[in-house]
Amino acid sequence: MGYLANQMRTMGDFLQEELQVENVFEIPVKNPIPSITLDGGGGESGNIFFAESTVTAWIVMGCLIVLTIILTSGFRIRKLSGKQTAAEGWFTMFYGMVKNMLGHEAIGYAPYMCSVLFFVGLCNIFGIFGFKPPTKDLNVTAALALMTIVIVQIAAIRAHGVGGWLKSFKSNPMNVLELFTRPLSLCMRLFGNVLGAFVIMKLIEHIIPVGLPGMVSLYFDIFDGLLQAYVFTFLSSLFISEAVE
Amino acid sequence: MGGLAIGAGMAVMTGFAAGISIGSATGKATEAVARQPEAAGNIRSTLILGSALAEATAIYGFVVALLIIVMLKG
Repeated sequence: MGYLANQMRTMGDFLQEELQVENVFEIPVKNPIPSITLDGGGGESGNIFFAESTVTAWIVMGCLIVLTIILTSGFRIRKLSGKQTAAEGWFTMFYGMVKNMLGHEAIGYAPYMCSVLFFVGLCNIFGIFGFKPPTKDLNVTAALALMTIVIVQIAAIRAHGVGGWLKSFKSNPMNVLELFTRPLSLCMRLFGNVLGAFVIMKLIEHIIPVGLPGMVSLYFDIFDGLLQAYVFTFLSSLFISEAVE
Repeated sequence: MGGLAIGAGMAVMTGFAAGISIGSATGKATEAVARQPEAAGNIRSTLILGSALAEATAIYGFVVALLIIVMLKG
């Protein structure tokens, strides 16, 4: 039992370390207001802290913005370059995919869903570049889930008006419960999947450092990450198309 | 401490039901595609949605096991 307890404690320490979000840098505030703290703890109170997941998410956004600028610069109508053909092909593919999920009534939300698809997808596979995936942090997935539920309510209000939106809660009281369970389930699903894949990858790297992690990372980092991004977008689109119909 | 390990293991047992349900859903989807190959696109997206919902239970179990280990390790 002593061995087991020891192993358990090591595992607990490891998991706790992975669950904690490190602060990368901080902006010192001259006259800090003690009641406002933006950090997750572990620093001087009053300063503004930036967590590792935030900074990695900025890097992801930067990559996406740079990629967009490179791919969309120098478009022409005649004598298409290979780059333009590829960009248009990808756009048609992803836009069509999101359109299929949303249905034609909620087509106005396709650009947002496309952005979420790309952001979450790149976040999930960012582990292969040596960063910690930002979606491994519960705060990031909670923010994404909150954005989804807010946009679902906005879609419902835009489609049915404030009266119709309130009436939907009156006619089916379960809708009030869904306001809380939907974002919780979206947030936990993404977080659990990414963290689970991350922890399993760490364990495999610990046991067999050579060869096997590369192969397993194809499934856990790339396939699972992209699938979860697809599932997140799919469920969000489903909620939106349900709200507007 | 041993009880903690057993508790965490039992929480992860939710994967048992998730595995059965995803397997059953995939089996039915395969049958459906074999019967109506032209509906393969719709069946695939429905299957992915159902699998994601079924898999969520396993993920909840995993998160609970994680919380048991981290919060109660003492």
